[in-house]
Amino acid sequence: MTGVYWPRPVRVRASGAGAPLAVGGIAVEAVREEWLVEDRWWTPSPLRRRYFEVVLADGRCLVVFREPAEGPRPRWFEQRG
Amino acid sequence: MAPRARPGRPGYAELHCHSAYSFLDGASLPEELALRAAELGYPALALTDHDGVWGAMEHAQACSALGVRPIVGAELAVRPPPSPGRAEREPGAGAGVPGRGRGEPAGTGSGAAGAAPLHVTLLVESRAGWRNLCRLITEAHAGTRWPGEGGPRASPTAPSLPLAALAERAEGLVCLSGCAGAGALVRGGEQVGRSLLAAFGRERFRVELQRPLWRHDRARNRALAHLAERLGVPCVATGDAHFHHPRRAQLQDALVAVRHGITLDESEPLRRGNSASCLASPEEMARRFADHPEALAESAALAERLRFDLTRDLGYRYPGAEDAEADRALAEICRSRLEHRYRARRERREAARRLEEELRVIRSLGLSGFFLLHFDILELAREVAAEVRGPGSARGLLPPGRGRGSSVSSIVCYLTGLSHVDPVRNALFLGRFLNEEATEMPDIDLDFPRDIRERLIVRVHERYGRERSALVAAFACYQSRGATRDLGKALGLPPGEIERVARAVDLHDRPGSVAEDIAAAIGPGRARSPRWRALAQLAREAWGLPRHVSQHPGGMVLSTRPLVELCPVQPAAMEGRQLVQWDKDSCADAGFLKIDLLGLGMLSAVERCVEEIARARGERIDLSRIPLDDPATYAAIQAAETTGAFQIESRAQMQMLPRTRPESLDDLTVQVALVRPGPIQGGAVHPYLERKARLREDPSYQVPYEHPSLEPILRDTLGAIVFQEQVIQVAMALAGFSAGEAEGLRRAMSRKRSEEAILGYRERFIAGALRRGVERAVAERVFEQVRGFSGFGFPKAHAAAFGLLAYQSTWLRVHYGPEFLCSLLNEQPMGFYPPDSLVHEAQRRGIEVLPPDVNRSAAECSVTERLAVRIGLGYVTGLGEDAARRICAERERAGPYASLEDLASRACLGRDALERLAWAGACEPFGSDRRAHLWRAGVAAPPAAQPRRAASSSRQLSLPLPLPPAPGLPELGGWERVATDYASTGITLGPHPMELIRPELGPGLVRTDALPRLAHGARVELAGMVVARQRPATARGVVFMLLEDEAGVVNVIVAPSVYRRHRLAVRTAAFLRIAGKLERRGAVINLVARTLEALATPDALRAQVHHIEPPAARETGRAGAEGQGGRGAAAAAGRGSPASPGASAGDPRGRRAAAAGAGLADLAAVAPRPHSFGRRR
Repeated sequence: MTGVYWPRPVRVRASGAGAPLAVGGIAVEAVREEWLVEDRWWTPSPLRRRYFEVVLADGRCLVVFREPAEGPRPRWFEQRG
Repeated sequence: MAPRARPGRPGYAELHCHSAYSFLDGASLPEELALRAAELGYPALALTDHDGVWGAMEHAQACSALGVRPIVGAELAVRPPPSPGRAEREPGAGAGVPGRGRGEPAGTGSGAAGAAPLHVTLLVESRAGWRNLCRLITEAHAGTRWPGEGGPRASPTAPSLPLAALAERAEGLVCLSGCAGAGALVRGGEQVGRSLLAAFGRERFRVELQRPLWRHDRARNRALAHLAERLGVPCVATGDAHFHHPRRAQLQDALVAVRHGITLDESEPLRRGNSASCLASPEEMARRFADHPEALAESAALAERLRFDLTRDLGYRYPGAEDAEADRALAEICRSRLEHRYRARRERREAARRLEEELRVIRSLGLSGFFLLHFDILELAREVAAEVRGPGSARGLLPPGRGRGSSVSSIVCYLTGLSHVDPVRNALFLGRFLNEEATEMPDIDLDFPRDIRERLIVRVHERYGRERSALVAAFACYQSRGATRDLGKALGLPPGEIERVARAVDLHDRPGSVAEDIAAAIGPGRARSPRWRALAQLAREAWGLPRHVSQHPGGMVLSTRPLVELCPVQPAAMEGRQLVQWDKDSCADAGFLKIDLLGLGMLSAVERCVEEIARARGERIDLSRIPLDDPATYAAIQAAETTGAFQIESRAQMQMLPRTRPESLDDLTVQVALVRPGPIQGGAVHPYLERKARLREDPSYQVPYEHPSLEPILRDTLGAIVFQEQVIQVAMALAGFSAGEAEGLRRAMSRKRSEEAILGYRERFIAGALRRGVERAVAERVFEQVRGFSGFGFPKAHAAAFGLLAYQSTWLRVHYGPEFLCSLLNEQPMGFYPPDSLVHEAQRRGIEVLPPDVNRSAAECSVTERLAVRIGLGYVTGLGEDAARRICAERERAGPYASLEDLASRACLGRDALERLAWAGACEPFGSDRRAHLWRAGVAAPPAAQPRRAASSSRQLSLPLPLPPAPGLPELGGWERVATDYASTGITLGPHPMELIRPELGPGLVRTDALPRLAHGARVELAGMVVARQRPATARGVVFMLLEDEAGVVNVIVAPSVYRRHRLAVRTAAFLRIAGKLERRGAVINLVARTLEALATPDALRAQVHHIEPPAARETGRAGAEGQGGRGAAAAAGRGSPASPGASAGDPRGRRAAAAGAGLADLAAVAPRPHSFGRRR
């Protein structure tokens, strides 16, 4: 299933602390916001995501998140909104 | 443990932290937070619960013990002034400050006029600040319960106060601008900021920055920092912690859902959304506030400034402490009464000596005013008792109340009327109550009949003023069962299954066992699903957390200074009462004078009994003059025929009575003290029983004592430590402890987690004993007995007071059986047995018990002219006291009711009340068929109003028109009648349920009356109804049950291995079939269970239930009768035939009709609930 706001996998290079340095090969100029969502832990599909609102070198403003929020091999997604 | 302060670490102290005393929001206890703060190296920790300081003293004590400096405060909800054009604001609308408004309690506050309340964090800097905080919180709570007219609210409104109120009480307080979700600046903007600045000034107002890891955190903090600049005040960083460790985050989520009465799935916008609200390390806070290092530094600087210490700076004095004349006044009262009481008695000289000694100790401790205050309250109680009992009442001969606890040992208490036991004649030891090294107020507990106590509490408020007296609070804390229900609902689990699990959960069991209970109740497969696993986890985490505030059974606090300046006061649920926000432990830590005015059910029952005897037989009983050596009474006690008697009716007591065979009040004093955790764990019970038996056989038997110095102390208890003060006396005699030291030992033993303190005492005890020439082995053995005893025993004085009441109640039971039963039924709930068991036991003794009857019953149970007990109309479940009294008053006025329609029209009864009466059999003067009455009730009275219709529609009165006859309906069968009885009154008077079930059970079962004829060790199988279940903490996992059949009662012992195999049956079954081994010790018979089986429903008796109404109407509760429409489900009576025309018209009848057709499984749902795993008092 796909949708307008559905998260799309994205390639992210991150720092040792887990903050994004580049998204889709384009450098991150600034991290505007960072937040954490932990939800639905009582269901078979719990949610643990660390979100970043970033400004890229090409001027775009994006929201990306890593899942799970911590750990060595996160998957990265881009999400609109 | 002192906090680990490491050089080079960022300085930070948490100034905004919620404990579980932010009810259903915070998820950790103050102790847990304090411990975590110490681990994280915090120099100080503030506790800022929502709208209260319930946990402040606990916090202060816990922090002080760990070397963390406690700061106290609160987060208050304030109402902004309504301003033109300022409609309800969205969170964050205030000053362009982005905010989410999530995670904060959604109180609207009374009179909030639509504006959402703003949160401000107040921290106490000085004593004046504490005083102001207490007054502000008191003001915020005023009106949350009693709006002034129309009685108290069922549930309180959220506390809040106008913003302007802060300005009047700002002295000594530091104001932070509030949380990220609902803070004053986030919601209120610059205008509110300027108001707060004006109120608190630049020195005491700070803009609060938080980083809960929500979206827009940085934007919000940037906006707030700009605003702070404009206001000219510094920012301060806070964590808004709601739990001490990230693992509590899930519980916090669930508690939010519980608070809002919705599920976790529905509550996303209201939850905090992540685990960032835990107490974070200074390093983590530095990382989060990397953009605002100055705010972080300000937190540490501000914490350093806040030096008010609740453990030191409260400044409480009890009323009378300042009275210079108190010493003289107390001495005068006591001396004049001593002359009167001990005139011409040989104890006079000893009494006078003891009085002077006590007066000297009281003077040296400055407690004369304290005793005068108690004297004053007792005089007030005397006035109240005279009013409550009325002139000429048979109860007038009784004292208004009596002391309990160690105060009974004091001659000053005896002379001032606080106790009724002569301490000189009874050789009571004073040390436990009063000694010169005492550091805490002595305890004086007073027992009153319930009705006198109710009135007295209000009168004490009136006498000392509402500002100077209040009740002590208590906190309802989560135990496994309540947690299962609340959290299961939040998880969205099926209600039926939650209830099955909840019933299987042992109320007081260790919290970790919920997982096993879930697996036992719904099967291991289902129990592995994420939601059920989450429930087990959450229930374990929630165990012991306070859920809401309630009222202590009778503790009152009195003060010279206005109490509202020492601790906030809030209205209690009962109108006219108010609570301080601290429980008894916090009050004790604050040094408050607490007076316990306790309601003792048996005192009320005894008074009622005396009154009923006067009414039924015209005899006036003075209980203070009854013979104390009545052979019939002692014969009953020795044979354990004591059901209903005070204290000695319990299962454990009945097991012991035939072995101890008490013969005097002294014996009874020991008897009531023996069945307590202290003597049981201290190993006192078996030596006492054995020595008592040997002495009976051989009066020359020499009781062995561990050491000759113990003989005078333990002579009365045959060498065993039974009474609390014996611990003190033993320590003094054997180890040479001073009275204060020995009392310190007793206190150390009665506290949790005091292992180190006890070990310290152990060394001193043994060293002291060795110095006195006691052998080490003896000293160690005696210390172990003392330690086993701990604090959980009665002082002798208390046991003497209870022993006397045990005797008096047994005397009444023996000589005035019907009146005694009647008074017990009217005082329920109390005692060990449910009413049904009391009635069955009385029936076996030949006492006639009659059913409720609209033409003969009073509202309460009463004794008839031929000395039978008539069940009162008040016993009809859900009828309501008003309706019962109306029926009786109308009958008094215009004679008996001639028919159902006559009853309906003259007593103005709605259909629901009529149905309940018909179903309970109370309409049998009009014919014996309950089903026909139920049918006719549907025609006689209008249906109750639907909840949403105008109230007037329920007030349509019935007309006394003749009713059409009911169609031919089958009469209730035996089972149906039993089920109906239990559903309607909780008592069945006809054949015992076991009599009806026995033909189904097949051969080979014995009845309880056959057990005395069987040999010890015989294999037996029997069946019965479960009357009581207990799993005492002292019994190492053994469960005891009382099983009743038509012939009597038997005690069943379930060993832990058997319990594990049959856990669900033991916990939940109403009827059991048990195979096991007979165990006989003298006259005491037990059944040691091997297998247990819940009795199943015979197929032929299954009900067919049809729900006709919409589900919403079916699910409304089972409260008062009238005007409570749409309760039950319409259903056809047993075997599918309709019960009444009302049923087919969609009328409430389902529960009862279903019960009528029910078999055993259904009966289990309506059978009287046995007293499980403990007793009610």
